[in-house]
Amino acid sequence: MIPEVTLPPPHSKRVQAWVYAIMNPIIESLRREVSLLAKGNITWQGDTKRCEYIRPIGEYIEFPQRPNYEDFVADPLNLGFQGKFEKHDRGLSAVESSAAEFADGLMHSDSFQKQVKDLLEQYQAAARANPQHPYLDDSPGGSLPRAVAALLVNRIDSLPYHYGTHKFWEMCKNEFQPYHMLPSFHAVKKAAEALGHISSKLLLDLENHRQSLCRTYDIPAAPIPADKSHSADAFIV
Amino acid sequence: MPSSFEREHRRELLILDTGPIRELVVFRAVEQFRFEGLRKSLRCIVDRDCYDRCGKFIVSLRRKITSASVVAELNCWIRETERAGQGKLWNRVYEEFDEMRMDEQVVKLLEMDIKQVAKFGPTDVSLIDIARRSANLSPVVLTADRPLLEQCGRAGLRVKHLKELTLPE
Repeated sequence: MIPEVTLPPPHSKRVQAWVYAIMNPIIESLRREVSLLAKGNITWQGDTKRCEYIRPIGEYIEFPQRPNYEDFVADPLNLGFQGKFEKHDRGLSAVESSAAEFADGLMHSDSFQKQVKDLLEQYQAAARANPQHPYLDDSPGGSLPRAVAALLVNRIDSLPYHYGTHKFWEMCKNEFQPYHMLPSFHAVKKAAEALGHISSKLLLDLENHRQSLCRTYDIPAAPIPADKSHSADAFIV
Repeated sequence: MPSSFEREHRRELLILDTGPIRELVVFRAVEQFRFEGLRKSLRCIVDRDCYDRCGKFIVSLRRKITSASVVAELNCWIRETERAGQGKLWNRVYEEFDEMRMDEQVVKLLEMDIKQVAKFGPTDVSLIDIARRSANLSPVVLTADRPLLEQCGRAGLRVKHLKELTLPE
C-alpha cells in the first residue's frame, strides 16, 4: 500500500529545519559566491587545488544537520533542488579543474619560472634602495611562483599594504598579464562565468522557495529571539 | 632623504598584540569574503581607509613578532565564533602571519613575574618581556588594549594604540 503523502502542518518544525539549517546557510554562501565570482575571484588555493569560499552545496551544511539536508532534497515540496545542487557542484568541479590545469601549466613553464625569478631579483634590488619595500624572497623554494599563479587564477588586482607580497605585486602584476591571454586561462574564466550563472539562478530559486515556505507554513525566515513561552522550541534561540 | 613618515616609523621591530591581528583578520574576512556577521566586532579598523593606514604603518617596520600567548588568545576568540566559519578564520590568521612573515616567541610562565601575571595576564606580560629583550631593535608594541598601552608607557616602551594608527594624519 502506498503511504498517503501529507503536507506539513502550519508552523511545522520540519519546514523550520529546512529553512534555518539548510536554506539559510546555502543562501548566505551563494550570496558570497555570486559576489566573488562577479569580481572574478574564485578563491582558488594552490596547495589544496580547491576554491576556499566556493564549496559543493553539501559542505555549506553543518554535519549534524545532514539528516535535515537529506530530508530537504528528498521531499517533493522541494522538487528539483537535488538536481540544481548537483549542477552547481559540477560547475564548481569544472572551475577547480580548469584552475588547476592553468596553474600547473604555469608551474611547469620554464619561462614563467624564469620571469618570476627575474622579477624577484629586480624587486630585491629596488627593495635594497628603498627601506619601505618589505624584504621578499622565494622561501620555501617555489612558493613565490605558486603564489603568483594563484593571484593570476583569482584575478587579484591588489593586496593589503602590510602583506609581504603587496609591493612586489603592485610593481610586477602587469608583467604577468599576458598569461591571462592563454587559452587555459580562458577556460578558467569561462567555467567561472558558467558557475556564476548557475549560482545566481540557484540563489534566486532558493530565495523564492524560502519565501514561499515561510508564507505557506507561517514561519519566520530566521529564528527569532527567545520568548519564554516558546522556550521548548529547538529553533527559537 | 627620508620623509617625515619614515623618520617617525623606521624602526626595526613591531610587536603585535591580539587586538590588531584580530581586527586585520576580521576586516579582510568582512570586506573580501562578505562575513558580514563579524563586522560588528570591529572596533578600530572600521573602513578601507583605516585598514590601509594601519597596513602602511605595519609595513614600515621591517620585522614583526608576537607571543605564543597571543595565538592562544586568538584561539579563544575563534572558538567563540560560529563553528562553521572557524576553519576559515584560521585560514585568514595563517595568511596574516605568513604575509607579515610573523615571528613568534614563547615566554614561559615560570619566567614571568607572578604578580605581573596576576595583574595583567600572561599575554601582556609576555609582550612586554619580548619588548624588553629586543631593546636593541627599537621595538614598538601595537595594541588595542588600554591597560597594555598604559603598562608599556610606565615601562618606558614605545607603544601605539591601533586606533591612533587608523586616524587620518
